[in-house]
Amino acid sequence: MSTEPVTDDERKRNRYHFDRHTPDYREQFTEVTAEMLDKCPVAWSDTYGGHWVAAGHSEVFELARSADYVSNDHDPANERRGYKGISIPSPEVAFRGGFLEMDPPEQRYYRQLLNPYLSPAAVARWEPLVDEIVRASLNEKIETGRIDFVDDLANVVPAVLTLGMLGIPLEHWDIYVEPIHASVYTPPNSPDMPRLQASRLAMRDDMMGQLSDIRASGRPGLIYALATAEINGSVPPDFELLGIISLLIGGGFDTTTALTAHALEWLSEHPDQRQRLSAERETLLNPATEEFLRYFTPAPGDGRTISADCVIAGQEFKEGERLWLSWAMSNRDPEVFPNPNEVDLARTGNRHHSFGLGIHRCIGSNVARMVFKRMVTAVLDRMPDYVCDPAGAEHYQTIGIIQGMKHLPATFTPGPRIGDGLAETVARMQVLVDEQRLAEPVTARKGAASAT
Amino acid sequence: MKVRVDPDRCQGHTICSMIAPSLFTLNDEDGHSTAIDGEVPGDLEAKAAEAIRSCPEQAISVIP
Repeated sequence: MSTEPVTDDERKRNRYHFDRHTPDYREQFTEVTAEMLDKCPVAWSDTYGGHWVAAGHSEVFELARSADYVSNDHDPANERRGYKGISIPSPEVAFRGGFLEMDPPEQRYYRQLLNPYLSPAAVARWEPLVDEIVRASLNEKIETGRIDFVDDLANVVPAVLTLGMLGIPLEHWDIYVEPIHASVYTPPNSPDMPRLQASRLAMRDDMMGQLSDIRASGRPGLIYALATAEINGSVPPDFELLGIISLLIGGGFDTTTALTAHALEWLSEHPDQRQRLSAERETLLNPATEEFLRYFTPAPGDGRTISADCVIAGQEFKEGERLWLSWAMSNRDPEVFPNPNEVDLARTGNRHHSFGLGIHRCIGSNVARMVFKRMVTAVLDRMPDYVCDPAGAEHYQTIGIIQGMKHLPATFTPGPRIGDGLAETVARMQVLVDEQRLAEPVTARKGAASAT
Repeated sequence: MKVRVDPDRCQGHTICSMIAPSLFTLNDEDGHSTAIDGEVPGDLEAKAAEAIRSCPEQAISVIP
């Protein structure tokens, strides 16, 4: 029996040229996914300096839950092992993206600190406020018979809510929404880049101002928790906190927007299913939400670094190798999902990976689900006959980072306004957030908001 | 039939309590799940089985 070490060529014999940042990958997603799932559920790709790609459901499941061998660490200053975090390729200007680019125990301290703001019980308290913002957003368009579901609804509500939870004034939502949304889809060589850079700087300035304001004023919310945190006995530096705030904003905005836009577009294309969802929402809304999450996978994957030589899911990995965990492709594995390329609103056994798995499960998953459901049901109620305009619908050209939409215009039979408009509602909700101290953690404040 | 959530595997996805809210309680602070003590009522056995099948972390099992 040979004791020769396995050569790299043997370890990497399953090869696939995988480039998720090209428009081709978006256009051929179903075919690429089927081929990888069939032939190489874990493959080596030479792209971006070389990295593994895990597509199979059981392979992704095992790898994502192997935190002892698979690291999220991002270490741009090379203080530890110089790992590159969750982006492949890693960004040119590198900074650590919050606790999603940390390993335990550090990662765990932050999760424990922030969970009481984002747990199901914590999130449920915000539902009345979300309903008000949704109502007011629809009011702005309801009398005209025309809406852009991205610009006028799905960009607005997650942004206002996320700022509320952070402790940032709600009316600042428009400082944040454009740079976050446009950063995801604007290519570096775009003529729009200077304007985008300026809006990013304005956002960064506001964020830094909020951090110091909140430190002084004690205004409750996620930022207050971070600003007063002691992590493992020391106070984290501001750049670390800004990385975390950016993670919460980036995670809270465009992902839910992407899910909502795709679901509304699909429902427009399947009016019988839309009617069924509306009529049977009591039993169907939960499984339908999970099915939209599975099928559209707004955040299509995460990078990792192998932190110790290991064999996982039958594949031998070496320390330092990079790995892409594809939530999107594993969500189409026919071993787990019968008819994986069809949307089945009542699907059962839906073990999708859209919020990730293991210790890094999306900390905002409860927020995303709640906001999505409130937006979709309000549209079903107030614009039941809406039709999206395929000529105006604009998908992101690539799905390497977020599987999202720039615009989704639609027409519908005009209806009456209910109550006040967006600006007035945002101002009223600010008073409510402050008076009811809604942004306190659930450990300090339990009941739901009273929005009347 | 009794069910158990392995606290070391549960990551607070909350799918089980969406499927069977009377069988699974979510912790207020982190959303991690605990199953009820005692027998699963007969009319909820199918829901319990569906929760087991749907758990993204495969954290739920039947206790013999």
